Amino acid sequence: MGVMDQILEKAVEEEEAVSYDVLVVGGGIAGESASLDLADMGFKVLLVEKEPSVGGKMYLLSKVFPTLDCASCISTPRMAAVSHHPNIILHTYSEVLEIRKLSESDFQARILVKPRFVEDDCTGCGQCEKVCPVVVPKEYDFGLRGRKAAYIPFDTAVPKKALIDLDHCIFCGQCERTCPVGAVNFLQVPKVVKVRVRAVLIATGYELFSIERKTEYGYGKFKNVITAMQMDRLLAPTRPFNAVLRPSDGKEPSSIAFVLCSGSRDRTLNNPICSQVCCMYSVKQAQLLMGALPLADVTIYYMDIRAFGKGFEEFYQQAKAMGAMFVKGRVAKIEETENDDLVLWYEDIENGGRISKAVHDLVVLSVGLKPNSEIVEVFKGEVLERDELGWIRSRDENVNPVETSIKGVFAAGCVLGPKDIPDTVLEAGAAAAQVAAYLNEVGV
Amino acid sequence: MISYVGIDFAGLQHMHYPATTSIMRLPCSSMIRPEWIILALKNGFDGVFVAADGTDCPYLRDCTDRTAKRIDDALKLAEKEGIEPQRIKMAAICSVCGEPFANHMHNFYRELKELGPVKR
Amino acid sequence: MSPNRRIGVYVCWCGGNISDVVDVKKVVEVISKESDVVVAKDFMFMCSDAGQRMIEEDVKEKKLDAVVVASCSPKLHELTFRGAVTRAGLNPYMYYHANIREQVSWAHGNDPAEATRKAIRHIRAGVAYLRHAEPLKKIEVKAARSVLIIGGGVAGLRSALDLSRMGLNVYLVEREPFVGGNTAKLWEVYPYKRKGWEVIDSILKDLLGRDNVAIYTNAEVRSVSGYLGNFEVKVEIKPRGFRGRCEDLERVVSVCPIKVPNEYDFGLTNRCAIIAPPYPGAYPEIPSIDWKNCVKCRKCAEVCDQIELDDEVQTVRLKVGAIVVATGFRPYEPRQGEYKYGSSERVLTLPQFMKLVERSGGELKLGNRTIRTVVFIYCVGSRQVPSGDEKVNSYCSRYCCNAVMNLSVRILDRFNGLKLYHLFRDIRTYGKHELMYEEACKKGVIFIKYDENQPPEVLVSGKRTIVRVRDLLTEREELEIPSDLVVLVTGMEPTPNEKLNEILKLPIGKDGFYQEMHPKLKPVETTLAGMFIAGACQGPKDIRESVLSSSAAAAKAATLVLPGRIELEPFTALVDPERCNLSKRCVDECPYGAIQIRRYEGLGEKAWVNEVLCKGCGACVAACPNGAINIRGLTNVQIEEMIRAAGRE
Repeated sequence: MGVMDQILEKAVEEEEAVSYDVLVVGGGIAGESASLDLADMGFKVLLVEKEPSVGGKMYLLSKVFPTLDCASCISTPRMAAVSHHPNIILHTYSEVLEIRKLSESDFQARILVKPRFVEDDCTGCGQCEKVCPVVVPKEYDFGLRGRKAAYIPFDTAVPKKALIDLDHCIFCGQCERTCPVGAVNFLQVPKVVKVRVRAVLIATGYELFSIERKTEYGYGKFKNVITAMQMDRLLAPTRPFNAVLRPSDGKEPSSIAFVLCSGSRDRTLNNPICSQVCCMYSVKQAQLLMGALPLADVTIYYMDIRAFGKGFEEFYQQAKAMGAMFVKGRVAKIEETENDDLVLWYEDIENGGRISKAVHDLVVLSVGLKPNSEIVEVFKGEVLERDELGWIRSRDENVNPVETSIKGVFAAGCVLGPKDIPDTVLEAGAAAAQVAAYLNEVGV
Repeated sequence: MISYVGIDFAGLQHMHYPATTSIMRLPCSSMIRPEWIILALKNGFDGVFVAADGTDCPYLRDCTDRTAKRIDDALKLAEKEGIEPQRIKMAAICSVCGEPFANHMHNFYRELKELGPVKR
Repeated sequence: MSPNRRIGVYVCWCGGNISDVVDVKKVVEVISKESDVVVAKDFMFMCSDAGQRMIEEDVKEKKLDAVVVASCSPKLHELTFRGAVTRAGLNPYMYYHANIREQVSWAHGNDPAEATRKAIRHIRAGVAYLRHAEPLKKIEVKAARSVLIIGGGVAGLRSALDLSRMGLNVYLVEREPFVGGNTAKLWEVYPYKRKGWEVIDSILKDLLGRDNVAIYTNAEVRSVSGYLGNFEVKVEIKPRGFRGRCEDLERVVSVCPIKVPNEYDFGLTNRCAIIAPPYPGAYPEIPSIDWKNCVKCRKCAEVCDQIELDDEVQTVRLKVGAIVVATGFRPYEPRQGEYKYGSSERVLTLPQFMKLVERSGGELKLGNRTIRTVVFIYCVGSRQVPSGDEKVNSYCSRYCCNAVMNLSVRILDRFNGLKLYHLFRDIRTYGKHELMYEEACKKGVIFIKYDENQPPEVLVSGKRTIVRVRDLLTEREELEIPSDLVVLVTGMEPTPNEKLNEILKLPIGKDGFYQEMHPKLKPVETTLAGMFIAGACQGPKDIRESVLSSSAAAAKAATLVLPGRIELEPFTALVDPERCNLSKRCVDECPYGAIQIRRYEGLGEKAWVNEVLCKGCGACVAACPNGAINIRGLTNVQIEEMIRAAGRE
């Protein structure tokens, strides 16, 4: 058990003090969008985010399909907006421990607010970060670079306040001595806040499929096999190395392969469904790579290219016209050569289905999405239902997809099923409408 | 709006570019009146760089095209005033385009240095 | 001339982030000598409580009327300090935020001397700005707590129900005689085997009888005027021609001499000029005359006393705060001869085939002939490859792969001995729909991938119909499939709405669908304030997605009208009518339709800005040849003075 876990066990329970119209769980693009709509309608919103900053997964992305908007450009204003809105109270670095339905439109929730060991006076000046001697892998870059133990999660974090990672802190006290406003406080204790809310919206999103499980692909073993999320970080303007380099030797790759359906449409991994976004983000990354590395070849191994959304097909055709190669065939296994290149064995479907192989010097696994739906466990009394694959179950897919098995509890975004940003934003809007309608009907 | 954040981003990343710049904020780059560009060139500035918002602009998706039109007009005005066209530049700067912005500033600075001050 | 201002300037150290590079003491010293600057100070953290209190006290004690804070980016703390000056009694817009961290100290750590000069330039510009600043007030608009919905398909009905449940008045206008749109015409839809009309019915049963909902069928919007929060709408309602239900509708229908394709089964059969309720639970439950085709022979009126052919068109005028457009799609209609469509009765579209299935008993039949083999050709009317100047649908229609997979699974369950061939380009059963594809594979559907450059051919000779295709999955082997029926898996096209488009002036994208404001973050908003798009009129969608988008549109409309008033930033354009020379360039330049030509007392016609619609982008400012337009809070004089101030060394 880490130091932080021990400290969290000693959380102080606070008396129930406040009530809100709606509790939104998850501060990604879905939770932010729904919170803003509800707050604009005049409802009081409590937004709870587990990480130390809002922003979710969207913030991490480079440019996004099919318009190649830069993800951080369009997501940071929304992150700032939730922190400024007078009708939104934001708890970051906090976890919902329990939600209990007492009666219709009356829920009691217990929320663990973790100590940052930095008081609210913090101005985000970053001096603590400079003096902290400890470096650990940075979560937001999927380990591609480091951060300090006293750190601000990322440049445009909201709130832009430091925190101290006690599990890695060596208690040298440098940050405490350096902080110009004396905000570092190692004696902060966790607290459990009790609130009453009239409705709940779950927007906890997704996790990336753990592709280590597909041992044939060698992720985690072969250095030059990376996930598409890592590639997105390498391509992002906020990227770690300011260049696309392959991990084993820091060389610019000259032949890059994308392996679609890595962990999706795969019964052997118990994930038979399609993850809905991988085709398009791979096509996008291919386009960005052809811009960043004009001499490199990009090959996409696919089963079907699912360019189904508005403007997607045109975007796919554009990638083809730019010179990305599309090979229909599922990759069976990957082997590593002596110089860390990779051999892909695949079924070449358009050439009679024979087994072929090809060598690439960087392989990107287009990993699928899995539900991040453990939140169902905090519901006491009534059960928040999930489907066989763990996605939150919609009460009615046709008529009202954002209602769940518990009346007054709604869901939006990837926790209901894999989907892209436009569809997530639509669902968030839909959820806001359903919450508002519910609150208006059940009355005060 | 967007480019302003991009220029902030260059700072956030501590990317250096010549400090002889001054930065003025407009809601959308397509607001710039060509006369203002000439006014700046006659009032102590050696060059004017217009950072267009590009397709991320919250006001206008085509703001870069519109801004380009303003630049064309400014170039015509500059010609009349006997000001070198190289003193007026534009590029789309997205909100995380810190690096491209810094590069633009370095290049622009070099070019302007060769040109010398605006002749009055 | 500028009035004499009393300006306070506050320079932040940001705990060293600024002061390690910028010589803040020197900045203060230089700035304090600027005219109109009454006080200039530096402080460790201006954003801290102590810093803000210092400003508030100075404003009161030194009677300041404007404040500059030089610190981090305005994105972070502009609002903070607007708050501080407001608490001290100033107008929040008598404030300027000079960025000397992100744009000075952090960018120029290598050149402290020049960085200090740059900081001074930025602050001088701020002082110049404030010399010409005026107090501003947020714009407040009253909003009617009611919403107009155009289109009564699944999207419009969902929006209507949501808005009604939120307590808003809803007016729904449907052009056809019945609500339900395309959805109501569908057979079993995924994932529940529910019929299309049952989906509609489950929304309708909540919607009908609500006292804040009015549904107009046979109705069309004729004009829209006004603006966000205050639209005035004229709706024309055609009479139904029926006063009530007829005893013997079958007889009435049989006497009508008219025969036209029946749109309720996608033209599979014909109907007369009397449209009976086309499915169970149809609303309204009273038939309607199809005025476009009725020749007023009055034979029907002779057999039913409920028919009245001479009722007048009614006009209603509505006042609404927002408009949701949900005009949906129309199924792609193949060109005459495309895959022998129209020339062979054994070639149907997917929606037609669905109706055929619905109508079949224990056996799937076309006419008298039992159907054993069906060949589905995918991507008809979608993903079209451009050739020459011909306008093509280059987009993917999104729903068709799922729909045909669902239908295949259902008919294989229902009819024995069916053999199904799917001729596809890519199978796009995205997300959980993949499970339907899996099931179709298990049930023995044969999949053949064709190359878009070598599409299948339908050959008809006598009673035989053969589909010839090269299979990419077996090295382009040429196959000839004898079939009883060929089904063209047709996509979606936007509903033709020329008249409505002229009235609303909604932007339309390259694909012909309505264009959203931003494909990601503003998918239901349009550039026209207060007008939203829902469902398939924005782009192809299935029922679930249409419903989501219409609820989202309802949410956006509600954020505007639910509070009853709308507060807008004051940074809007303002025309100086004395300088306007009526070039009208601003009118063309404005993307929001916020500028009109108006008659001014004593000046004649000049440009005028509707500040409710103006978003303050400033495009008109640049376009005006006379410099007659200013943005409040960033006037031309302010910009010019800032340029002069920053340029001065």
